[in-house]
Order: sequence, then structure tokens, then C-alpha cells
Amino acid sequence: MILEVSGLVKRFGNIHAVNGVDFHVAAGEAVGLVGESGSGKSTIGMLVTRLIPATAGTIRFEGRDITALPEAEMRPLRAKLQIVFQDPWGALNPRMTIRRALEEPLKLHTGLDTESRSARVRELAQRVRLPVASLERFPNELSGGQLQRVSIARALATQPKLIVLDEPTSSLDLSVRAGILQLLDEIRRETGVAIVFISHDLETVELVTDRVLVLYLGNVVEEGATRALFANPAHPYTQTLLSASLPPDPDAVLRRHPVIGETPSPIDLPPGCAFASRCPVAIPSCREARPPATPLGEAHSAACIRIAEGANLLTS
Amino acid sequence: MSLLSVEDLHVHFASRGMDNQLRVARALNGVSFEVEEGEVLGLVGETGAGKSLTALALLGLLQPPAVVAGGSIRFDGEPLSPRVRGTRLTMIPQSPHTSLDPLTRIGDQIVRMQREHASVSKKQAWERAREMLAEVRIPAPEERLRAWPHELSGGMAQRVLIAMALVNRPRLVIADEPTTGLDVTVQAEVLDTLRELVRAHGMSAILITHDLGIVAHYCDRVAVMFAGVIAEQGPVRAVFREQRHPYTRSLIASTPKRIAERGFREMGGTPPDLYALPEGCLYRDRCVRAADICVQPPPNMAFPGKHTALCHFAAEI
Repeated sequence: MILEVSGLVKRFGNIHAVNGVDFHVAAGEAVGLVGESGSGKSTIGMLVTRLIPATAGTIRFEGRDITALPEAEMRPLRAKLQIVFQDPWGALNPRMTIRRALEEPLKLHTGLDTESRSARVRELAQRVRLPVASLERFPNELSGGQLQRVSIARALATQPKLIVLDEPTSSLDLSVRAGILQLLDEIRRETGVAIVFISHDLETVELVTDRVLVLYLGNVVEEGATRALFANPAHPYTQTLLSASLPPDPDAVLRRHPVIGETPSPIDLPPGCAFASRCPVAIPSCREARPPATPLGEAHSAACIRIAEGANLLTS
Repeated sequence: MSLLSVEDLHVHFASRGMDNQLRVARALNGVSFEVEEGEVLGLVGETGAGKSLTALALLGLLQPPAVVAGGSIRFDGEPLSPRVRGTRLTMIPQSPHTSLDPLTRIGDQIVRMQREHASVSKKQAWERAREMLAEVRIPAPEERLRAWPHELSGGMAQRVLIAMALVNRPRLVIADEPTTGLDVTVQAEVLDTLRELVRAHGMSAILITHDLGIVAHYCDRVAVMFAGVIAEQGPVRAVFREQRHPYTRSLIASTPKRIAERGFREMGGTPPDLYALPEGCLYRDRCVRAADICVQPPPNMAFPGKHTALCHFAAEI
């Protein structure tokens, strides 16, 4: 197991951002975290890469508990545990050339001499299909798609075991996005790096990941193999979410499940199921205790008490 | 006669560089399209294709250095007059929270919108504002009229903007990425509300988006923009089924669903430099079909059902 997370909790003051999340990522696996704004998906990305401290729970990376590892001991591990952010303009130092941005992690984490660093930088640029001439440029001279390639190259520089990708294609245009997805696909095949893919875009998650976790207000409401979960969503929230997606095909039939209102505030979370206030099939006992995960077959489970009586499926 | 007809619209940005040389960015390069009565037209394209700029030009909201350098816009058969704007032609802007005045209650903003364009009493306008909030399905409209913008969720704020755009009963409403910042579950509901109102009042709409899913399910016709021209336009079904322009083809092939079905297709390149547009077809540097003839300006080829494509090879694709 590359990454094992259990009982992860994060509070920002009185905001309950992540409320007891368990998951694991095996070597070479691509795990998706999907959810809407406020679901805690990006917070989880920052927690597992130790960019922010957890309030409770444990994070194990390659078997080692890194939850409270001192920064000095964490630093060598960072070479193997990388993150790529949504906004490539904000992720790169505007005063550093692309070459320096790519060289920096090599200086920090490897003992390579100047010449081999330079060779490695060229190799990385070629790998992400960045023109070699752009190495001497500054971030403001490149397009968004090219900058995201730089971010990916920088994450790859130290040969990581796991890369967390937080909405890596959300700020990019469609055709540029396809190029980045293709690049990620190639990199996974070549290097066997495991990825955590955070996105609100269901179609992209379906394309990229092997396994997926659906988050709602800091809780995992459903998880499973991507194909199984998209084919048979069990949690009412997952069903609602999938039914709201609009496939780019005018002949696709939409079976939309209406929801009540919008995601409530994460400040005063109710004791029971977080989705109960918007759920069309909620019953009074949904509001009493947090529903446990109900197994639904191989590696597929959903946290809904109405599954037992088969009342979880939404109609209309 | 079409409700709106835009013909050969050109918009340029003129600026002086550091060397004091005048530089002109040709942002719209001959945009022509029509919107019929009761029709929803989707305007799609990537960043910088000129979608929002087209909307701003229609609404007369272009600011220097942007200037209309040519072309005509006719509304209801007449050259578009400023009186039409804000009443018969209105806009739903993109980001709900920056588009509402943070220091004015919702009700007062909707009242102002009406009194700016017609002589109605405050009381009448307030009553109409309440009706409008109910129409866009805001619960407890009476109370919401007294709410401040920051008290609204993203979805509610977007509904208020729809109410403001429709309060003067326009004949054409332009919605610029009306759901971009919203969650998927909320997005669908807001689009449903918009579509229902447009239908119920027999209005027409231009829906600007980069999301092909929205086009597929909420528009009747679609116009695909690239580098300030409309590369292809036609009925949504026809365009999704038979793309006639290589750009439309590559856009649709880039959606995750198509990638899952057919794998990755090579596509590359960046949009052309608007300061130094090439002669001939503007897409040719990125085009897989590009040939020698593409240095000539491409013809706008017509296909059945008002389906057109700006490409030398449109008939063969």
C-alpha cells in the first residue's frame, strides 16, 4: 500500500472540513476523489501531502506513519509524494525560468551534478512534450496548458511514488485538457506512479481513475471500482450527482433526480447522515447517527441506511 | 425575418506597444449568425475565441481599446438601437457574486433595473420584483427581496441575476456562462429554470458556454467559434452527429466520453496570434486536414438545415 488514511479529520476553526475519512491507494493505482464545493476533496489532498496538519486520524505513506512527522524527516519523503494544483499560473514562481523551476526539486532531493541535472531537465521537458526552447522562458510567456505540463514535469522530477492531482485540468480548455489527460495516461503506464485525482468533473474522473470515492461535506458517502460505481450508484447523493451530469450528446436521455436546496454550511453539521436534509428518501432515523458503510459487492460500499430495505434507489 | 441578425461583425483592439507602434489585435473577424424567434442558440469555443466579446458588442458594452471595426447588427429588422438594450435585449452575467451590488438589497436592485428603463412606481416595481423572484423559483420571495447579496448562495444569486435580466420581459436574453461557478447539481436546476422561463414567455436566448453538455441538452442551434470567426453552425443534432469543420470535430473528440470510447486523438497547437493573423483559414496551423489550398480564405459551405462550415473540405468531412 502506498497510502493508507484512517479516521482523517480536519477542522478549520468551527468549520468541519473533513470528518473521519478512510481510504487507501495501492501502488500504481489511480483513485478519484469527487464531490462538489465544500466536500473536503482538496483539503484531503493537502492533508495527505502534509501541506496542512490533520486534526485527527492517521496517514501512512509506504507503511510509515507521517501524520505528525517533523518537517525535517518529512522533507526527504516529499520527493516521493508530490502534488499538482489546479491553477498552474499560481503554482510557479513568476521570476524563475522554467528551467530553474524544474531544476529546483533536483537540487533539493538528488545528488545530481550540474550536467546531469541539465540532462534530466531536458528529458523531463521532452517527456511532457514541452518545446526545449521554453525552458529559458518565464511562466507568463507560456499558455495554461504548457504551464500545467511544467507543473507535472516538476512533480515527476524526483520520481515520486504518488502524485496528488487537484483539479489538474479544470482551468484548461477542452482540447488542451485532452492533451494533459493523455499525458497523465502515458506517465502512469510508463512509471507506474500512483495517483489521487481530485475533481468535480465526473466524466474526467470516470476516464482517468480505477477506483473512486464520492465525498459529501467531508464524509465518504460511497466508494467503489469506478466502473461499478458509475454503473450502479447506490447512495442517493451519488445518484443525484451522476444524474445531473450532462453528457455531450443530444440523444443521451437524462434521468434527473431533483434535490432539495444546496449543500448546507459545514459549520453546524447534523449528527446523522450529512445528506439527509436534501435527500428525497430520508427517514427520521437518518438524522440520528452517522450511517455506516454498507458493502454492496466487491470493493463497493455506500453509507446509507436505506440500502438494507432497498429504499435507497431514487425514481423519476 | 430573424429576431437578431449579425452580419460580418469585426472587433479590433488597438494599442500602442512599448515602441509606440500601433498594434491591432483582430479579435472578431467577420462573425455572422442569426437568432430566430423562440430559439436558444449556443455559442461555444475556447478561451479567447470571442464568445463574450460578441455578447458585449451586441449589448454595446465594448470599452476602448475595443472598437467595432465593421459589420451590422439588426434586431427585429432594424439596426440595433441603444433603446433596445436593457429592455428588449438583456444579459445574464457570468459571476453571480461580483455582478450584484453588494451594498444594495436584492429587491432594490430589481426595482432599479425596471425604473431605469420605464416609468413605473416603486410600489409596482417592488411587486413585480417579488413576482420575478417567485418565477425563478426562489423560496420565500417576499423575505428574499430584503436580503443582501452576501446572504445568498451561488445558485440563489444566479437566480436573482436571471430575475433581473428577465424583469423587463426582453425578447432576447444573452446568458454568458450562467452556471460556470456552480456545483453540478445546482447548475442543472438553474438551467432548467432558465429554459422554462424562456419557453414560457416565447423569448429567444444566446447561451455562451464552453460546456458541450450544456449545448447538447439546452440549445436548439449551436455556433462554434474559433479565433473570432464562427467555424461551424447549425442545428445541435446535426452538428453533434456530423461535424463539418475539423475544429468542431476535434472539440467533440476531446470530451472524456469520446476519449473513453475512441481513445486519444492527436490535437495540438495554440490559437493563432490575434496581432498577426495568417491569411486564409485561421485554423490551418492546428488542423489535421490542412492542405495547400488552406492559405486561401475558406468558403462558408452550406448543408441542409441551415448548417454551415467555414472550411475548404467541409463537403468531404
